[in-house]
Amino acid sequence: MLESLGQFGGAFATLLSGTAVLNVFWAMLLGIVIGALPGLTATMGVALMTTLTFTMTHNQAIMVLICIYVGAIYGGSRSAILLNIPGTPASACSTLDGYPLARQGLAGRAMGISTSGSWLGTLFGTLCVATLTPILGEVALKFQSYEFFWIAVFGIVIAGTLSGGDALKGYIAGFLGLWIGTIGQEQYYNYPRFAFGSTDLSGGIGLLPALVGCFGMSEVLLAMRAPAAKAVSSAIDSVIPRIRDVLQYWRTILRSGAIGTFIGILPGIGEDVAAWSSYAAARRASKEREKFGKGSVEGLMSAETGESACVPGAIIPVLTLAIPGSAPAAVLMAAMFIHDINPGPMLMVNTPEFFYQIVAMLVIADMAKLFYGFFLVRPLLKILLVPRERLMPIVFVLCVIGAYAITSRVFDIYVMVFFGFVGLALRELKFPMPPLILGLVLGELLENNLTRGLVLSDGSIAPFFTRPVSGALAFITAATIVWSIPGAQEWVRGTLRRALGRASPSAP
Amino acid sequence: MAKKPATSAPALLPHEEPLPPRVDLYVAAAFLALGIAIIALAAQMPTFYERLQQIYTAPGLVPALHGAIIALLAVWLALRAVARGAFKPGPGGTKERREGYSNVRLGVAALLCLVYAGGMVSRMPFWLATTLFVFAFIVLFEWRERAPWAERAKPLAAAAAVAAGTAVGVMLVFERLFLVRLP
Repeated sequence: MLESLGQFGGAFATLLSGTAVLNVFWAMLLGIVIGALPGLTATMGVALMTTLTFTMTHNQAIMVLICIYVGAIYGGSRSAILLNIPGTPASACSTLDGYPLARQGLAGRAMGISTSGSWLGTLFGTLCVATLTPILGEVALKFQSYEFFWIAVFGIVIAGTLSGGDALKGYIAGFLGLWIGTIGQEQYYNYPRFAFGSTDLSGGIGLLPALVGCFGMSEVLLAMRAPAAKAVSSAIDSVIPRIRDVLQYWRTILRSGAIGTFIGILPGIGEDVAAWSSYAAARRASKEREKFGKGSVEGLMSAETGESACVPGAIIPVLTLAIPGSAPAAVLMAAMFIHDINPGPMLMVNTPEFFYQIVAMLVIADMAKLFYGFFLVRPLLKILLVPRERLMPIVFVLCVIGAYAITSRVFDIYVMVFFGFVGLALRELKFPMPPLILGLVLGELLENNLTRGLVLSDGSIAPFFTRPVSGALAFITAATIVWSIPGAQEWVRGTLRRALGRASPSAP
Repeated sequence: MAKKPATSAPALLPHEEPLPPRVDLYVAAAFLALGIAIIALAAQMPTFYERLQQIYTAPGLVPALHGAIIALLAVWLALRAVARGAFKPGPGGTKERREGYSNVRLGVAALLCLVYAGGMVSRMPFWLATTLFVFAFIVLFEWRERAPWAERAKPLAAAAAVAAGTAVGVMLVFERLFLVRLP
């Protein structure tokens, strides 16, 4: 215990020395602005800023990216409250009660609720990172290729099922991402797959250019198609959070924090589902249910707490399994690899100090967020009103730089543009994006563990199903797929109802 | 768990509206073709059996598996589209236009991005390409057809200032401050 506290103290001392504090403040400010501006998302922000962190030390680089991530998720609520347009998909739920509060002349109070809910949510999630990561890391150390294969497949399936929209299209997007991950030279014989004689394609599809294309360029194009945003009001009441709001809804905060963190841990789902699920749970349990959707303090608090708790939650599987819990966490994981950090089960063995640093980074980012929550309200209103015609070309210039800067290949710019159009087309055809990204990230993990498992078992697929953990994962994966079929859901519900009816015949 | 509660949620955006089943059928056909093409290409890859005396590390094995799953899922999507009435005649008339949404703006933005990333970057100095792109983007989208030239001077000057500021700012921040190589 004392040793752990010493390690945390050391992590804070390492992170807060020299220019680090300056990095925290500019990165958090940038994150909040990125999140607040409709059309710019947390994933895009983390992907673009990865470029800026190349020359930094690894802990400073990851701290900057965590600040961007935490700030962007929080910043999204600003435009949700003031414009009725979610700055990021995660803050769509905050429009339900945030905007009605702003229309009642309570925009400041709404932002105060958002600040306190978000701050407490991230703090709750960070506490879970500190306590759950070592335990899960210990469990993950016992996993072999068979288990890792199923974790990768389960990640794709659960992301496809829960990331919003059509589960079947989510699965297709996930496997499309897995296939794209196989393009280029493979690991055993360096055979160039699907390269068609192109040296550039033999090098494979870079993860970051593809991510910047899917989340950067396609969002620029969609923003240009959408109508321009208009602010509800420039008059803002006090933004200082009320203690009464926090004390009155402590149960909602704890519940939403737990739901947000849990959804964060599930691979590839992300903050939007965390916010909606927390909101739905708060509504079910609330004594003021009728106020939800009309300016409910509890509703806004639950959405903000849930989405912000999801951020640290999404980092837990990155640290323990090298599987991202959300799309921005996928980019964060890619950035870790770029900076020679190897997340996964061996992280706690090889570089335990990095785990303590991550916890410290989350706490520091949360504190910086609280600071800006009090002081960055009126200036942000002005930034929100920057016309997109002037903002979007600048964002696209950053997309081009972000794609090019990692390997200095012009080919990566073309990859970014290609994925920009692919992302746009897939969105138009109602394919969710998180499974595609998760497929790209998990492609290597899945292939390596499938082939290694088959080599170890001499071609037998039995260990993939008969080992306790891999068998359980296979069952959960299959059950998740079956559950996504509407007819199957009805059949299971009917069977359960009949079985329960037989079990309790005296029930009215 | 992830179901959105039935409150006064904002209206669906165009990209959130459900697709007609017939479009899903075309999408399924495209993915089926992709899945089959992946399997065919993977089958042509060498197995390298002679090197390790087993085929589980064959380069085409995993892509073929992905291709097969994509093809199966595409068949599932096609069957679902048919069950939902892909072959039934659809409602007549043109689709209602959404206020404020413009596919023309989308097309112009896409074209400008394509010209900048595909034709200008790496073929001319980055600062020049960026200045021209940002200027053209702002001017095209802020252009008011019927305004007299005197009224256009101010927005044109603002566009030029934003374009030049972006180019200089990007060069300073990325190249000088963060030592990032630019195209």
